[in-house]
Amino acid sequence: MQDRLFRDILPRVSKPIRYTGNELNVIKKNWESSRVKMVFAFPDVYEVGMSHIGGRILYGLINETTDHLLERSFAPWPDMEKLMREEGIPLYALESYRPLADFEVVGFSLQYELSATNILNMLDLAGIPVFSRERTDEDPLVLAGGPVAFNPEPFCDFFDMFMIGDGEEALPELLDEVERVRKLPRQEKLRQLAKVEGIYVPSLYKVAYDDDGSLASMEPLYPDVPRRVRKRIVANLDEAYYPDNPILPYMTVVHDRAVLEVMRGCQRGCRFCHAGMVYRPVREKSVETLQRQARAQLENTGYEEVSLASLSTLDYTGVDQLVKGLIEEHGSKGVGVALPSLRVDAFSIDLANEVQKVRKTTLTLAPEAGTQRLRDVINKNVTQEQLYDAVKAAFQSGWRAVKLYFMIGLPTETQEDLDGILQLLEEVKRIGNQYSRRSVEIRSSMACFVPKAHTPFQWQPQNSIEELQEKISYMTRFRRKGIKLSFHDSRVSFLEGIIARGDRRLGQVIYNAWKNGAIFDGWSEYFHFEHWQKALEESGLDPAFYVSRNRSYDELLPWDFIDSGVTKAYLRHENDKAQRGETTMDCRQEDCTGCGVCPSFEVEIDLRGGSERAHQS
Amino acid sequence: MRIRAEYSIGPELRFLSNLDTMHMMERALRRAKIPFALSEGFNPHIRLSMGTVLPVGLWGKKEYFDLELQQPMPPGELCEALNKVLPAGAHIVQAREIERNAPSLMKAVNCAAYGFILQMSQEDISRICQNILNAEKLLISSRGKKKGVDKDLRKGIYNIDIQPYEEFFCLMIWVGAGEPLNIRYDEIVDLLQQQGVPPQAILDVFREGNYIRIDEELYSPLER
Repeated sequence: MQDRLFRDILPRVSKPIRYTGNELNVIKKNWESSRVKMVFAFPDVYEVGMSHIGGRILYGLINETTDHLLERSFAPWPDMEKLMREEGIPLYALESYRPLADFEVVGFSLQYELSATNILNMLDLAGIPVFSRERTDEDPLVLAGGPVAFNPEPFCDFFDMFMIGDGEEALPELLDEVERVRKLPRQEKLRQLAKVEGIYVPSLYKVAYDDDGSLASMEPLYPDVPRRVRKRIVANLDEAYYPDNPILPYMTVVHDRAVLEVMRGCQRGCRFCHAGMVYRPVREKSVETLQRQARAQLENTGYEEVSLASLSTLDYTGVDQLVKGLIEEHGSKGVGVALPSLRVDAFSIDLANEVQKVRKTTLTLAPEAGTQRLRDVINKNVTQEQLYDAVKAAFQSGWRAVKLYFMIGLPTETQEDLDGILQLLEEVKRIGNQYSRRSVEIRSSMACFVPKAHTPFQWQPQNSIEELQEKISYMTRFRRKGIKLSFHDSRVSFLEGIIARGDRRLGQVIYNAWKNGAIFDGWSEYFHFEHWQKALEESGLDPAFYVSRNRSYDELLPWDFIDSGVTKAYLRHENDKAQRGETTMDCRQEDCTGCGVCPSFEVEIDLRGGSERAHQS
Repeated sequence: MRIRAEYSIGPELRFLSNLDTMHMMERALRRAKIPFALSEGFNPHIRLSMGTVLPVGLWGKKEYFDLELQQPMPPGELCEALNKVLPAGAHIVQAREIERNAPSLMKAVNCAAYGFILQMSQEDISRICQNILNAEKLLISSRGKKKGVDKDLRKGIYNIDIQPYEEFFCLMIWVGAGEPLNIRYDEIVDLLQQQGVPPQAILDVFREGNYIRIDEELYSPLER
């Protein structure tokens, strides 16, 4: 197999190094002596998948600390896929070159709604039936985890089970259990696996819909199947497994550096933010742990850069001490520190100045909305003054370009808010002209707001494609020298919105879209809206039902049975406050906001960075 | 201290691009804690310069890089330290100190040898070699910067030899590299096909080495 790939196939594809494996620090476990064989499948190309920290953690965790085996597989680029189909080469894992069908468990990482078609394509390329109901005892158990699994319903047709929450808790337990129930018939086996906390087996539930199309009921088929599925969390992140020997890819991957996860969770409480709700509570690592992990990773990889990852790294209570410590220890060897996300304040700029050893090219900030009113609605607790102070500090210290992220189509948005974005951009440009010695460039990227499950905005309607297009054309009329606007594709956001709050009936839409040829939908060069439009028409479902409708608080939502720890009452309260334009403070600085996650999991927010409180912004 | 090292890239690493190979070396230098020199400026880089680009898909027996050291280190020790941390398939063969002002590899190397392992009879291969050497002009469509323009390879072909290679034969060809005439390996493939070598008869291609050619004599970059 390997010979044939190297001789006949790989010389004919672009970037063949994606498909060879054998990187430094790869773990090739003995096939025969490993207990459960699982493959971690990432529904995007190698260079995207290899940049994902969750995958690095699970790979090391299973291979280093258990007797199970975890190999990797990624979506082949269309040129490779074509050759594989022509030559009859099944999708294989990079460690053993074995086809995916040889594994007992195939686990997909669900990071993005529209990676669905790539998942079906990978299953098909692996010779595994794409529909769960068509799989037999001979087929692998097909699993999905990751943030998108918090609303698993649109994907139910294709997965035998889902894993909700932190994988390092649930996965080793699940694999032990898979081994224990190995001999049982498939459906029996799944019923046993559903007892593992955090595991959801969709075929064990019966759903019914009301005449208006909303969910009427969702009932377990057996008394021993849990009514609600509770997410798993790592209570102590500081002591949790983290890989010291990550794989070093040969090719340049998207995030080609050592990565430290400084904390998990974020409690800023932005009302649109899915990750901020489902990854609660905040759990930090200590500075000492992070310094040890950085040292080990750098020694074992030779990377020239270490990045501090989390949902909001500047909120890590030890960030100042950690950054200075890392620069002191590794800076003289030419190793840089990267801060992937910056908070909108002057402290962030000071710290960024310290780490930014490269030419100060582009500074990225996310005010999200153009007026104070709308920023209060979404609870993005950033003031105009903080933003202007931040860009002033940046331009004064030599940055020449600023990139600003906004969303359009947010709840309660009016023309004033769109004008607010434009005025804000002009003001940033003016500050740049005043404080920078050279001419400055302002770039702004406008995403279309997509309401997500498990957030306070889960009841809110999403703007239609037409509404968004109107807003986009209104804004593109604005032209200023040195200010560039770019917009996300409103059709992509529309599809994301359907799936983000979808139900089981969407399985046929996803299947038909794939059958119609949809693949790599997250890549603009491969995105074809027609495939999805046709699939929606074929299904007879009304997309407006999923995206444009105001949902009532009484409605049973398809994802209500997933227990993220955050209560529905809290989400509702936050949604009400949003309508009134009231903000909610971060519970690290003020009182508990009552989201419910700490009492539910009997944990507390875990701050270990050293400084007494998170930096106030 | 300036070091010139000769290394090999095995068939398992044949799909690395030049940039991939450079990153692999840089990271190996860091893991091995080699006392490399860093460039000045905001974004310091290891003072490493790779020789002529090994095309993606080919493995290479004698490739070269130059490295600036901050503190002296015996070349033998450097080889040993690097070989401990390099992935299987990459190997430092030898290294030596070179003069600080020695011309760079990109300037010095002007000849490369490619090996084509062919599933053909020795007679057929000999005939093709003779045809190539006897030709006055060998026009093929350029694969380089002037894509599609007719290019005469003849002046850039210095020598051809046939050697037994396992149960097959290896056609070894020495061609111009860099200035003044650069012959790409895929242009040689085109030429061989033009001369009657069927594509499926080419079992493998590798770069045997890089040379400095002076007055028809070949020298290793380690010698000059």
